[in-house]
Amino acid sequence: MQLYVPILVLAVLAAGFAVFSVSIAPFTGPKRWNRAKLDAYECGIEPTPQPVGGGRFPLKYMITAMLFIVFDIEIIFLYPWAVAFDKLGLFGLVEMVLFIVTVLVAYAYVWRRRGLDWD
Amino acid sequence: MNGTIPAPTIEYGMLAPMLVVFGAAIVGVLVEAFAPRYLRSAIHLPITLLSLLISFVLIVWQWVEGVPTKAAAMGAIAVDGPAMFIWGTILVLAFVSVLLIKDEGHFVGAAAAVPGSAEEEQALYEGAAHTEVYPLVLFAVGGMMLFPAANDLLIAFVGLEVMSLPLYLLCGLARRRRLLSQEAAMKYFLLGAFSSAFFLYGTAMIYGYANSLDLAEIGASLGVVGGQDMLLYIGGAMIGVGLLFKIGAAPFQAWKPDVYQGAPTPITALMASGTLIAAFGALLRVFWVALGGLDWNWRPVFYGVAILTMLGGAIFAITQTDIKRMLAYSSIAHGGFLLIGVIATGSAPAQNTSALSGILFYLVAYGFTTVGAFAVVTMVRDAGGEAWHLSRWAGLGKRSPLLAGVFAFFLLAFAGIPLTSGFFGKYAVFQAAVTGGALPLVIVGAVASAVAAFFYVRVIVLMFFSDPAADGPSVVLPSRGTAAVVGLAALATVVLGVFPQPVLDLAHSAAQSLFVR
Amino acid sequence: MNNVPTLDDFGHDPLWITIIKAVAIFVFLMLGVLFGVWSERKLISRMQHRYGPNRAGKFGLLQSVADGLKMGLKEDIMPRTVDKVIYFLAPVILAVPAFLAFSVVPFGPMVSMFGHKTPLQLTDLPVAVLLVLATASIGVYGIVLAGWGSRSPYAMLGGLRSAAQVVSYEIAMGLSFVAVFLQAGTLSTSEIVSAQAQGGTWDVFGLSIPMPSWYVFSLLPSFAIYAVTMLGETNRVPFDLPEGEGELVGGFFTEYSSSLKFAIFMLAEYVNVFTVSAMAITLFFGGWRAPWPISLWDGANAGWWPMLWFFLKLAIVFACFVWIRATLPRVRYDQLMAFGWKVLIPVNLAWIMIAATFKAMRMPDTTRGVVLAIGAVILIGAFAIWLRFDTVNQRRREARAAQIEAEFEQLREEPTAGGFPVPPLDLPHYHGVVPEQARRHADAKEVTSGSN
Repeated sequence: MQLYVPILVLAVLAAGFAVFSVSIAPFTGPKRWNRAKLDAYECGIEPTPQPVGGGRFPLKYMITAMLFIVFDIEIIFLYPWAVAFDKLGLFGLVEMVLFIVTVLVAYAYVWRRRGLDWD
Repeated sequence: MNGTIPAPTIEYGMLAPMLVVFGAAIVGVLVEAFAPRYLRSAIHLPITLLSLLISFVLIVWQWVEGVPTKAAAMGAIAVDGPAMFIWGTILVLAFVSVLLIKDEGHFVGAAAAVPGSAEEEQALYEGAAHTEVYPLVLFAVGGMMLFPAANDLLIAFVGLEVMSLPLYLLCGLARRRRLLSQEAAMKYFLLGAFSSAFFLYGTAMIYGYANSLDLAEIGASLGVVGGQDMLLYIGGAMIGVGLLFKIGAAPFQAWKPDVYQGAPTPITALMASGTLIAAFGALLRVFWVALGGLDWNWRPVFYGVAILTMLGGAIFAITQTDIKRMLAYSSIAHGGFLLIGVIATGSAPAQNTSALSGILFYLVAYGFTTVGAFAVVTMVRDAGGEAWHLSRWAGLGKRSPLLAGVFAFFLLAFAGIPLTSGFFGKYAVFQAAVTGGALPLVIVGAVASAVAAFFYVRVIVLMFFSDPAADGPSVVLPSRGTAAVVGLAALATVVLGVFPQPVLDLAHSAAQSLFVR
Repeated sequence: MNNVPTLDDFGHDPLWITIIKAVAIFVFLMLGVLFGVWSERKLISRMQHRYGPNRAGKFGLLQSVADGLKMGLKEDIMPRTVDKVIYFLAPVILAVPAFLAFSVVPFGPMVSMFGHKTPLQLTDLPVAVLLVLATASIGVYGIVLAGWGSRSPYAMLGGLRSAAQVVSYEIAMGLSFVAVFLQAGTLSTSEIVSAQAQGGTWDVFGLSIPMPSWYVFSLLPSFAIYAVTMLGETNRVPFDLPEGEGELVGGFFTEYSSSLKFAIFMLAEYVNVFTVSAMAITLFFGGWRAPWPISLWDGANAGWWPMLWFFLKLAIVFACFVWIRATLPRVRYDQLMAFGWKVLIPVNLAWIMIAATFKAMRMPDTTRGVVLAIGAVILIGAFAIWLRFDTVNQRRREARAAQIEAEFEQLREEPTAGGFPVPPLDLPHYHGVVPEQARRHADAKEVTSGSN
């Protein structure tokens, strides 16, 4: 735990600075009320009304997020394997080849089904 | 860099049946990725059926060679008598279900399209098909095999997820009544994820208690570890919730009718047979091997759950007007009957064996009958797809007596009439329960059977003794696959009902070795 | 070599030394951002034959200070439609993790600080690099929440794009570290640096070939991939899509148009650039260790000197960022994603397996035949996959080109194709091509592109 205390100290410092800057921002500047200024910025046209809760967004981003999770978990498996490679020996290499091949099967499927294409 | 981590030993031979299924599933994904569209199902079907067949042959071979007495893969997976029996049953039923699945017209062309949209129309017109169904089924079957054989709570969780995730997807692929199908998939997914979370949380609690995930070690630590009982009770209860959900036992039965109704009927057949068998295998293993020493705590709870499940399933089934929902509630009631068998396990090995073999026989009998019943449901069709409403089934016996007769036979087997497989299943379980001292449960079970018999007979009366509707549904000429499924199921129901001894013996010898500790 | 810190040397500092170090890192980063902005503007203007800022202070050195002050004195505009809590929190969530990543960056060896022997590094963990990746991931929350909380289409799209980009490149980044861990056998930054102290020898067929010590040489593919991902991860040119002004105005911070909130976003962006640069130095350029000619001097890697080497390396890497910004155009979004997912990830995986096979071959007690067989399988598999995908892509590209060509052909023959009135595409101001008919006229004059 002792190793993490310095991170906490730096976090307190950074968070203090960030919160301080963000909170004093309204007080250091002038205030001149203007209706148009307080609208969402859309290059001068009347802003599009936004649905409460953010509304919908393209599904594409969700697919990216799911693929990210798949590969992030793969990375999480790779790290301890890389660190303990010497101890695992040949067995580790064979297992990791099998694992990566299995992941690549899914990867090939996603690729061929245009899951990685943007448009 | 001092010391090496020893490579674990993995008994590939013992795990081969499972590995074959998973390997074929992965090959299926590759086929999906690289084979041209028009070739896919032609490649998938042999791969799927062959892998199930090879897996079954491997199990038989291993059975002849001698049932292993030690858990495989460093104690993570127990390939013992009951597990092999369950594997064999699941494989046969999966094989039969695949014959149903291969028929045209059960699955949607483009599942992601909005129901009723132009894209969906377009996909149907182009003849698009989700041939991913086959690898998904194989993954689900692999999970069904892993789940009851897992000798480790974490492996059990992996098995649970591998079994469930493909099924969630498959539920949403029905060609007709898309909204219902999507709703079913969504409900199943959300509730299933919720129950998996229960299971995982319970696993964490048990780990906190026993400092191990191995079932045998957890079992050994009961009563040894002091002062942590609360963790154990909460953990055990949560694992129980997760497992009872998969069975569809009473307080957690709500998903079953909706999912069984919305899913494509072949998938319903697979779920109703395979998932139930796998979940019972896992339930028995976890509550026997790991929490066996705690049975004074869980037995009363199971008493209540069994009574609720039997009566709830039977009584709700009466009010159903939809054939698939009715079969779903009947499946809930059967889950309750099977729970009697779980409670009938006792401390004496002979009692355990008889209870276990009763459950195993019941599972085989029920599995075949239910697949057959759903196969019949696929054949009775309206303009808008399968005719589910019971009123549409009126007078079916006059129009196609053979089909109605077979269906009536399945229903009688569900009810447990003598000379059907259902009778011996119930008999074996009830007998074990009586000798195990659970007589009150058996009485409730008998009452529930009588209630259930009422609505089964009602359908039979409806089919044979009422006038057919003017624009009634037509019975499609079954494809060879469907005909084979119905025939096989009917045959199994007859043979198990008239001449049950070989299978009873097999179940008995499988149960003889009990679960590996 | 007893002045080289190991993991055991951490966690013994008294609190006041920890606070001194933390404040030092904080001040270093703040000043670094101020001068980073200045040096970037200065460098890029020299590359574009301009002077850049030269009014505030000598050489315009105080320009960023003045800018910062000005931002503080501007009106703080909070649009009416925003989700106030999220709008307020997003800059904080973005900025804090950016600072945290620096807590595990090694600046130097053990030094004596007010009589205490302590490493020139805030702290180290057995999983230090994982902490860096974790903070990068948390930073994505800041981006998404800024876009989400702003409740405006531009901010929303910018936030989503940016998040998708950052997570896509984070995978390739995470994978490019694996080979380093494979070599170093640890995730601790200080030990990775000490693992780069001296190069081993590579025993192959009885020969002992000395290996260079920095991983940038022995693991060049990993570094190349990391270099790309660090541009993508920090949203820098050529991957600065989230701020593509032409399409998205300001991207996810469109609604943070003025005041210190905007300043915090800028700060976080620059700190992130420093973080990825520092990781590049730590993992691939020998950390604080002196480069080769200097390292011949014994005192180069002792005392406070290494901090100087570290800062010099940081300055060079940062200058490369600026250089790239001045050189490369922005890529298209689909190209960006395709590059991340279809090139970086498979290449990375193949390289990891090849590196692992090499490593296994050098292990003393393994069957070389088996390893070689595995290596062959990996190579053939990688090649087969590449070939397959490449031909597929090739075919698709050709088909698309043919389609476009056909469309143009049709348009050329019939300007109103498809029912839309289309100006004839052979008008002079399209590409300045003079049509055949006009050329035949003696008085036809070619009109250059852009004029009417």
